[in-house]
This record gives sequence, C-alpha cells and structure tokens, in this order.
Amino acid sequence: MNIGTRKILDRSFTAVGIGSIIVMAVALMIVVVPIITNGIGAVFFTGTVEHRKMLFSEFKRGDSEKLSSEVASSDRYRAKVYGMLTDFEAELETMAPEKKVEYKAKYAEVRAALQALFGPLPGDPEPMLTRFKYGQTRWEKAEEKLHDLLYETKWDNSNPDVMAKEYFVSRAIGFQGTSLVKLFPYVKDNMEKLLLPEFTFYWGFITDSSVDSHFFGGIWPEIQGTFFLAVGAMLFAFPLGVVAAVYFTEYARPGFLNSMLRSANSTLAGVPSIVFGMFGLAFFINTLKVSESKSVIAGALTLAIMILPTIIRAAEEAILAVPKTYREASLSLGSSKWNTIATVILPAALPGIITGGIISLGRAAGETAPIIFTAAVSVGSAIGLADVLTSPTPALSWNIYNLASEHEAAAQIRHVQYGMVLALVSIVLMLNLSAIVLRARISKKLKG
Amino acid sequence: MIKKISLFVVFLAVILSMTASAAVTTLVLDGSTTVGPIAKTFAAYFTKKYGVRVNVSESGSGNGAKSLINGSCTIATMSRAMKAAEIAAARQKGVNPVATVVALDGLAMVVHPANPVRSLTKAQISSIYCGTITNWRDVGGPNARIVVLQRESNSGTEESFKELVIGKGVQITGSAETQSSNGSVKSRVSSTLSAIGFLGHGFVDGSVKVIAVNGVFPTVATVKNGTYPVSRPLYFYTNGQPAGLVKQFVDLPNSADGKRMITELGFINR
Repeated sequence: MNIGTRKILDRSFTAVGIGSIIVMAVALMIVVVPIITNGIGAVFFTGTVEHRKMLFSEFKRGDSEKLSSEVASSDRYRAKVYGMLTDFEAELETMAPEKKVEYKAKYAEVRAALQALFGPLPGDPEPMLTRFKYGQTRWEKAEEKLHDLLYETKWDNSNPDVMAKEYFVSRAIGFQGTSLVKLFPYVKDNMEKLLLPEFTFYWGFITDSSVDSHFFGGIWPEIQGTFFLAVGAMLFAFPLGVVAAVYFTEYARPGFLNSMLRSANSTLAGVPSIVFGMFGLAFFINTLKVSESKSVIAGALTLAIMILPTIIRAAEEAILAVPKTYREASLSLGSSKWNTIATVILPAALPGIITGGIISLGRAAGETAPIIFTAAVSVGSAIGLADVLTSPTPALSWNIYNLASEHEAAAQIRHVQYGMVLALVSIVLMLNLSAIVLRARISKKLKG
Repeated sequence: MIKKISLFVVFLAVILSMTASAAVTTLVLDGSTTVGPIAKTFAAYFTKKYGVRVNVSESGSGNGAKSLINGSCTIATMSRAMKAAEIAAARQKGVNPVATVVALDGLAMVVHPANPVRSLTKAQISSIYCGTITNWRDVGGPNARIVVLQRESNSGTEESFKELVIGKGVQITGSAETQSSNGSVKSRVSSTLSAIGFLGHGFVDGSVKVIAVNGVFPTVATVKNGTYPVSRPLYFYTNGQPAGLVKQFVDLPNSADGKRMITELGFINR
C-alpha cells in the first residue's frame, strides 16, 4: 500500500470516529435536554394561589397569614364572577322554556370550565376526591383551561369524505344578549388577580408523598422504593458475585463443569428482564414464599439475580487484570492462597469490582420488568426499613410507566411523570458519578 | 477497605433482622386497570380513615385472579367475572373466591373527535372487529381505513367486550392493534383520526368522542337501567366471605362516601 492511500484511509477512519462521537453526543442531547427541561418543571414552575391552598391544607405548609390575605384578595375578584353566575341563573328562570333548555346545556359547560379553573363553585358540594377540591395549581395549565372557558371546540363536518376539522367558537357569542356575556372578558382580563401566579420552588416534589394518586404532592415513596430495591439487590448480588468470580478465576479447574458454569453465566446475562420478573414471581413468591405477596425483598432478590452475571464478569475481569507478579510476590513470601486472595488480589482488583457493581446498581434502579410482578405497586405509602420484608413499594421506573399509560388522567399530570424521569436519571447519574469518585480514590490509595 | 465493606454489610444485615419482626396489617389489591382508579381512591381513603396500609397494583384482571389463587393478594379487582376454570383452579388451592360488585361500568366505544360517525349498531361494531368492515365509509363516515384497537388477552375489559359485543368464540381481526391499558387506548384514539377503541366509562374525557351503541349513549341512567347494551359490573374478589378489615373495605361502595367517590371518578353506582 502506498503512503497516499494509507493517509486517506487514516483520515477517513478519524472522520468516521469523530462522526460517530458527534452522532452519539447529539443523540444524548436529544434525550437529555427534554428530560431536564421538562423534569425541572415539576419542581420549578409558576404556581397559582390554588397550589398554595393545596400545600397548606394537605401538607400544613406555608404562611397562613400571607395565604389568607392572598385568598381574600383573589376571592374579591372571584366574588364578581360568582355574582355573574347567580345573576345569570336568575335570568335563566325568566326565560322561555325552549330557550332555557338551550342555555342550560351551554351554561353547564361554562360552570364545568370554571370549576376546572377555580375549584368548586359556591353551592357545589365539597368533592370527595382531592383532585376536584382545588382549581388549577399550575399557571400554564390554568391558561389551557382559560382557553376552554373562552372557546368551544367544534368540528367542521362540511366535507363528508374526510375527517372533520377542528375550529374554535367563542363562548361569549353564544351568550350574546344575556348577562353572562360579561363574564368571559372579565375572567380573561383578571386571570392574574383571580389566580395570583407566582414563581414557585416546590421542593416538596422530592420529599412529599403523593395525594390522590399523583395529582398533587411529590414522589418520595417512589424515590425511596427505588433506593431500597437497588441497594437491596446489591446487598445480595455483590458478595455473591465477588465470591463467584474468585471461584472462577482462582479455584475452578478448566473442564466440562467449569465451561458449563461460565456459559450459564453468560446466558443469564442475555435473558430478557421480564423473564426474571416472571421467575421472581414463580420462585421467590410462589415457591420459596419469601413474602406473602409482592415485597421489596422479593423484588430485590429478583433484581439481584438479574445483575449477578454482570457483577461476576466485571469482578472476573478485574481479578484477571491484577499483575501476576503481585500473586507471585505474595506466594513467595510464604503466604497461603486464601491469604493472597484476601490481602493482595482482591484489594488490587477492588476498583474494577466496584465499578462493575455500581453500574449494575444503576441498572437495578432503572429496570421495570423484573419488579412488575415482584415488588412494584402503583400506589402505596412510603415504607420504613422495617417493612421491606413484607411490603411492596412504588418505584420510579414502574410508576413512570404507570403514569404514562395506565393512569386515568395521564394527560393532566404529565409534569409529575417528567419529574419522575428526571429523578430516576439523576439517581442513576449520581450512582455512576460516585463509582467514578470511589474508583479514583481507591486507585490513588493503592498506588500509595 | 474490604473490612469496612464487610462491616457495613453485617451492620445492615443486623438492622434488617432486628426490624424484620415488625409486621403491619396490610391490604393488598391486584388486578384490573379499569377498577384501578376506584381501588386507588378507596385505598387512600381507607388509609386516611383507618390507618391501614393498602397497596394497589394494576396488572390486569387475569393477573388479579391469579394473584388471588396464589394467595398473593387480599382482594382481586376484576372488570369481568371469574371464569369457571379460574374458580376451579382456586378451589384446588383451597381458595374460595367470593365476588362483591363495586360499581357498574358502561364500556364506551370511542373514536377521535374529528370522526363524524355518531352511532354504530352492535352488528356494525362486531363487523369492524371481525374485519369484515374495514373502512369508515361503510358505516357512514369518511373514506378512511379503520384502525381497530383492542386490549391484551389478560384484560377483563377485552373479555367483557368480546362477550357483550362480538360474541364468545368469534375471532377479532388479526390487524387489530393491541394496547395494554385503558389509558393507552385513550391516547392512541385521541392521536389517531381513524381509530376505534373501547374504554371503561371512568376513563372517558374530552380528548375522545363517545359514540352511541344501538343509538344509546353510555350515561349513568342508561347503564343503570340496562338500556346501554355494553355495560358490565366491576368486582372485588375475596377469598371466602370478607370479614374484618377486608369486609370494611369491600363495603365501601355501599357507604355514602364510597358512592360519591365512584360517581366523581366517572363510574356508576350499583
């Protein structure tokens, strides 16, 4: 090959390398930027007075004097809205019967839109569900609901050959000539005074339990559950994995049994996680009966089996990477085999072992499938350390799925889902960072 | 370092074993995603009122039945009645499933709001699901291929739909898309102009349009008096006659508060 071709090949290889790194970086940005920007919105957002009311009555948080003055000031404006409603209701009674029926249906929609904005209206019975007790707690949602109040969504069916087109009709026009027509511009112009939006830092999103299946409140039970499951899995898998790796590298004799064990281990690494979930249910819960029903311990054991192959492989590699001279030096000083392993080989291999362990910890925190049948519930309170043997727990990965697809009002509480995603990603990132730091510290110590 | 780590492990093990004996009374609910909202709301209410922990999972009616048979849940929430085979399996394991009706549910047929079709007959729906009608044009709509949505085999809603609309033993067309929960059917319908699906009544909101079946819309009145043809009861299944805390829980739908919660969630009281 002449030098020219070689140079071209070399350059194009460099270009491909840089290109693939750029593609990876772009992909990462595309994934991470929305996660962060949307997720932050769960904690930092423009909250309305309804949010502060909710915090005060559900969590006893907030300054009661400031809140009552705020409520009083917003109630002054709301009283006018409610006054218009009573006026219109009186007017409704005086109308001709057929007109009355027509307006009644429209008026019911207006009332529903107002309820969504401001919570129960005067004369409404106190709702049982917390989600109906308050109006819109977030300003951007309130603006959507304001649109629902001002405009009616209609569908244009004029062309029967295609699907209808959406268009909006101002509700005010529908009430032309009645007293209610004033209500729409009034609410629109005084939105800020009615709801008192204010920048809110809701740290409780991390530390509170959820209220009324994630409509309000935070995600602490999920964070704690994720932590318990991941750490629990680690407690089982890490010691077992290290011992197995020591056996494979130091004690096992090459042979049929050994190669069977190794290939079993590699196969285990390739088993889909849902299979581990089913196995966990069948083995740990139904056969071994480690707990009556789903529990943290059953989930942790299942996750442990899932991450075991990775830990074994990482530990094996780390042990094999210890220079042979270490072992020879130790043995030549008269040390026994076990003593060599415990005092020379394992400490030298520790950074690699720990890295493998922590990467597996991140995986255990993020897996959904193994815990569906063994540990995760959609709603449950935060559990204490005492309950891990008997109680299941909500966990971030599973609840993200639950909120995304199963929740009855998934579209209304997207921000909670985004917040959970950000929390999960941050937890995994922090675990990985701590692995890097720990590894660096240990390597430094070993080098002396 | 190893010493430190092993000390830590021992320490944790000791803590775990010390606290293991502290048991709490817990109710475990598993099953239908349709009954999920009711179960979750009741759970929160029950925990607040009686201080009893209630855990709710939504893994489908079929799984609820399995959990009850295996003894891994206290109450199975189901959107269909237990099948004879399930009852037989339960008996074999010494479990005696007892049903309590929680609420009624009208299975709403939903389409995208842009779809001009307002009403379908049961026969038309069943032709759509069997694949003999594949275009909205054939049922009075625009020229568009029908995207048929069904639920997974584990779903009680799917079973009730088959039983009530297309008849047992009839195959749903292979081109039907399978969704795993009420929520995902709803989001698929609201984002697909030519889709049709079915939802529990409590899951319906403004993002989808409910169409009448045989000219009847699912409302509280039509579901209650049985004129809406696709209604069904929702169940709590317990092992044996409920007693104690379990009885208090399954009796919630009879209390005034329970009835109001069911209504506010969009389901229909028995």
